[in-house]
Amino acid sequence: MDPTIKDFEAAIAELESIVKKLEEGDLPLETSLQLYERGVQLSRFCHARLEEAERRIEILNERGQLRPAPEAFGEDDETKSKVKS
Amino acid sequence: MRSLFDMPFEEPEPERLEPESPAPRRRILTVSELTGKVRMLLEDRFTDVWVEGELSNCRVWNTGHMYFTLKDGGAQIRGVMFRSAVRTLRFKAQDGLRVVARGRLTVYDAKGEYQILCEHLEPEGLGALQLAFDQLKRRLSSEGLFDERRKRRLPALPRKIGVVTSLEGAAVRDIIQVLRRRYPNAHIVIRPTRVQGEGAALDIARAMAAIGKVAGIDVVIVGRGGGSIEDLWAFNEEVTARAIAGCPVPTISAVGHETDVTIADFVADLRAPTPSAAAEMVVARRDDFCARLDQLAHRVNATMLTRLHRCESRLRTLEARSGYTGVRGRMAMRGRYVADLAHALGRAVRARMAARERSYQTMRLSLETFDLRRRLARIRSRLIEVDGRLSVASAQTRHRADRQLRSAAARLEALSPLAVLGRGYAVCWNAERTAIIRDAAAVAAGDRVRVTLARGELACEVKKS
Repeated sequence: MDPTIKDFEAAIAELESIVKKLEEGDLPLETSLQLYERGVQLSRFCHARLEEAERRIEILNERGQLRPAPEAFGEDDETKSKVKS
Repeated sequence: MRSLFDMPFEEPEPERLEPESPAPRRRILTVSELTGKVRMLLEDRFTDVWVEGELSNCRVWNTGHMYFTLKDGGAQIRGVMFRSAVRTLRFKAQDGLRVVARGRLTVYDAKGEYQILCEHLEPEGLGALQLAFDQLKRRLSSEGLFDERRKRRLPALPRKIGVVTSLEGAAVRDIIQVLRRRYPNAHIVIRPTRVQGEGAALDIARAMAAIGKVAGIDVVIVGRGGGSIEDLWAFNEEVTARAIAGCPVPTISAVGHETDVTIADFVADLRAPTPSAAAEMVVARRDDFCARLDQLAHRVNATMLTRLHRCESRLRTLEARSGYTGVRGRMAMRGRYVADLAHALGRAVRARMAARERSYQTMRLSLETFDLRRRLARIRSRLIEVDGRLSVASAQTRHRADRQLRSAAARLEALSPLAVLGRGYAVCWNAERTAIIRDAAAVAAGDRVRVTLARGELACEVKKS
């Protein structure tokens, strides 16, 4: 991903400081646009990371192989009832 | 058998099996047969007994079986424990130890002794386990394995969540259920392991090592559901503790219930009271971050929205009192210079508007592609609407400026003195060319005047006025 963003937590911290700057000072339009664009970039990165994980359950077997878990583990009561309704 | 309480009221009856009494059918048993009958009786009757007493004559033979005597003040019973059961003992069985034994009765035919076949033996009050627990805890603690500064923070956003537990237990289901509910797209990797019984500790240790090697795992939950202290014992063993300490990513121990405390709890980065709670802990930090992110994104957009509104109103102002009206009036009198100026101004205004439009375009693009969730959709649609109005406004302004420029230029053309001269008129100036002579009375005979024609100029002398 973006090499200027270290990780999720760093992105959040930077976004926080950008929001503060935007809210505090009456910056020139050009500067605030630049900040805004950076903010969008950071926010996108965070959302991408949030969505990144896949809904998946795997079993790591004795041979060190990852296999999808049996159905019984993949479904909880909630999803079952959702399917029903 | 008779009760003692019967005695005061009745004389004891003569025994029915008196040797002298005639036995119509005398059945003689061999010792083996009798012993067999006794054994059947005992084995049938006492299949599962618990008995407490003090250990004595306790010996483990080289076959691995253990023989002992269990006694109290008034009686004693022989006992035997087979090798497979002896191996599950977590304390050293010694003479003098008060124990509770569980097993079934049988008879050792060769000696005519009845004995208890012991399947389970535990020290009274579980003192031995407590002792083992305390000893290991002290040792690991002195090595610094429980130090606060060893504890790692959980990741805000674990890519994969490792779970080390039994597939049969309730723990794995509890964990999955919580994660499914609170973190629907969680990627869970389960490393099944036995969590109780012979070799469970080693199994857990191997599972920890294996899951630590899976790429992308950022946190590991290790544990099991509730059970007796015996059931939970694998989590009190050294090999388990060391494997948890050696895990390359943060660990959460989740063994048994709230009140169960194991060595694993001390050595893990975080202790969860239950497996469900462990899953909650994994999700909690993520939830915090999600809320913060949403809030920040909202604030960024709100700020930019205000900014846009301000720009919009400035544009309106510009539109309303743009200097065009004045320029038009002045242009007629000031000739080409003014026309050029007006043209330059028009170009500048247009350039500024184009630049502004470009920034709006950039802004609109960012805003449009800025994918916030549903809660921000409303703000975005408002932005797009404002932006639409802005584009229309700037386009209109530009149009009007163009129109005005064109008409001004046409009128300028019509009013230009050069155009008038082209039609045959001439302009008569005084000699200094400081004033136009409009009245013949303004000059006298002999005065010099200058006459401007469409092409060129004449120097003239007035003959008569």
